[in-house]
Amino acid sequence: MAERNATAEDAGGLSRLLAASSRHAWVLLGALVVVAAALPALGLSGFYMTVVAEMFVFAVLALSWDFVGGQTGYPSFGNMAFFGFGAYTTAILLKDVGVAFPAAVLVAGPVAMAFALVIGLAVLRLRGGYFAIATLGVLLVSVQLSRNFEFTGGASGKILFDVPPELTFYYVFLAILAVETAAVLYLTRTQFGYVLNAIRDDEPRAVAMGVDTTYYKTAAWMLSALFTGWVGGAWGTFNTFIDPQTAYNLGWNVELITMALIGGAGTVAGPILGAFVLTLVIFAVNTVFPGWQLVALGLVIVATVLLLPDGIVGTVQERAAAMEYYQVSGGAAPDDTERDRAGDGGDGGGSRDREGGDPERDSEVTDP
Amino acid sequence: MAVTQFVVNGLLVGALFAAVAVGFALIWGVVGIINLAHGELVMLGGYVTYWLVAFAGGVRSPWLVLSTVPVAVAVLYVVGYLLQRLLVTRISEADLFLTLLVTFGVSIVLQQLAIQAWSATPRTVGVAFAEPSLIVASVVVPKLKLIAFAGAIALTLALWAYLRRTRRGRAIRAVAQNPEAARLVGIDVAHTRAVTFGLSAAIAGGTGSFVAMILNIQPQMGLVYTLKSFVIVVFGGLGSIPGALVGGLLLGSVEELTAGLVGSQWTLAVSFSLLIVLLLVRPSGLFGRPIEEGE
Repeated sequence: MAERNATAEDAGGLSRLLAASSRHAWVLLGALVVVAAALPALGLSGFYMTVVAEMFVFAVLALSWDFVGGQTGYPSFGNMAFFGFGAYTTAILLKDVGVAFPAAVLVAGPVAMAFALVIGLAVLRLRGGYFAIATLGVLLVSVQLSRNFEFTGGASGKILFDVPPELTFYYVFLAILAVETAAVLYLTRTQFGYVLNAIRDDEPRAVAMGVDTTYYKTAAWMLSALFTGWVGGAWGTFNTFIDPQTAYNLGWNVELITMALIGGAGTVAGPILGAFVLTLVIFAVNTVFPGWQLVALGLVIVATVLLLPDGIVGTVQERAAAMEYYQVSGGAAPDDTERDRAGDGGDGGGSRDREGGDPERDSEVTDP
Repeated sequence: MAVTQFVVNGLLVGALFAAVAVGFALIWGVVGIINLAHGELVMLGGYVTYWLVAFAGGVRSPWLVLSTVPVAVAVLYVVGYLLQRLLVTRISEADLFLTLLVTFGVSIVLQQLAIQAWSATPRTVGVAFAEPSLIVASVVVPKLKLIAFAGAIALTLALWAYLRRTRRGRAIRAVAQNPEAARLVGIDVAHTRAVTFGLSAAIAGGTGSFVAMILNIQPQMGLVYTLKSFVIVVFGGLGSIPGALVGGLLLGSVEELTAGLVGSQWTLAVSFSLLIVLLLVRPSGLFGRPIEEGE
């Protein structure tokens, strides 16, 4: 009895912590950004700074994927196409047109966004496996096209000279991540975010309620492409070299999906956390067993799907919600209202509701 | 004249695509997953042949090389059976998306293991055939390609006959239609699904062995075969073996025509654009029953 109470109390603390972190999400985000920005001044440099910078890059990629794949339920296998578009746009502007670095990176986002609009009009009409494979096809075709054309440098790609110092990129990646996190955090608490979740839970019903789901899907898809394009543009310059293999990295495409899943798809914190964790794991494997990182990735994917289908954040939330109820009324499984309240408290409106319709959210959809 | 030649080349290679796609469609229909590691099974079949020929001291006599096909079929049957029993059965109840991700994970693992085992260099098994090629009405038909064509068609027909004529084949079709009812009438559903996966892998492996003879193999070839299978299955209609056969032959012809008239670097772009157009215009394929949304 005493032991059970202790567990319940711990979990109650956990759920209070989650609720608090959700209420103060903006403060938390600000504090984390300040800490991250201060790290180089506190002595983070060289190899470790590169690792952290790459963690930011993957966090942007995973969060962008999740905005469509997790929030909206359209699992894309081709997000790296936007990354590659961004990388090529920036490289061409820098090298062939002679645009300055900040402008070249800025343009990469909208270009990827425009590409997303064109592609999205076709592929967003497909669902489930058809959507996933159509996007994978888009990615493969992008690889082939960039290899075939002259202005992309063909198979040998482009080498970039006179790039800014590493510290600049550290801040560029951090800035993109911070802006994106703020945007996603804001959107998941607006009607826009609720509509995205409604599309995921029951698209035909959302359509029947008069929601123009095509508009919302396309908008989310374009926003996801905007940030992916920006980070791709900056990353290409950071790497000082792009070719079809590196700009449209198929392995990365699977990595970023896995990151979102490990952390918790459909949440804001999950993809970022997952990106940080998996980037470190892959770095570690690559250091100890060079060349085996993709094998490790495959094993991580299988393990995640089998053991942790709701991801870290999703699992913690469920635990906390269940335990909170347990503590309050001592016993039975939590009912829906309790879980929804705690779930929403935890992640800011994105908890994955597998049972489908959530009356509160649907009513928000109907009266705008 | 050249166009006829391209079409003939396309049909010859297309039969291989069709055989691969039939196995892919079988798993989709019976186990209910889209197996993104299917192309890797083709790759493994190719390496079985390559490895056996290398083991035999590089003897390239036609009979020896052809005798590796049944070995590849048998080896891959075991691989497929185990894959279903040990892994896929655990995920087949999950979201379609999660099964896609897991099979993609498997494909990456197989790819990387193959790179570690055989390096990334493309390989081909040269068969010492007494050429010359046949020439029919000034169209050149290389004998080896003709044999591979016949082999791929034979594998497809054998599978078809198996599904139609045998007791186990009937069980497989029953599981595809309704696993619950199949279980009620005493069919071991788990074993039947594993056999199905084994058959799908076996036909992919046998085809891979022909691919090693007439084209080339390398660890990263798989994804393209998986995607081609997807294109073919969507084209022919899910659950239709004749559809897959026609789809494969058509895709082969389209690719060879693109390669011959435009340039070989455009084949993937053309065939995938065709897929997207087809999905939007006629999602049920040419021969198939309509596909449920979100399946």
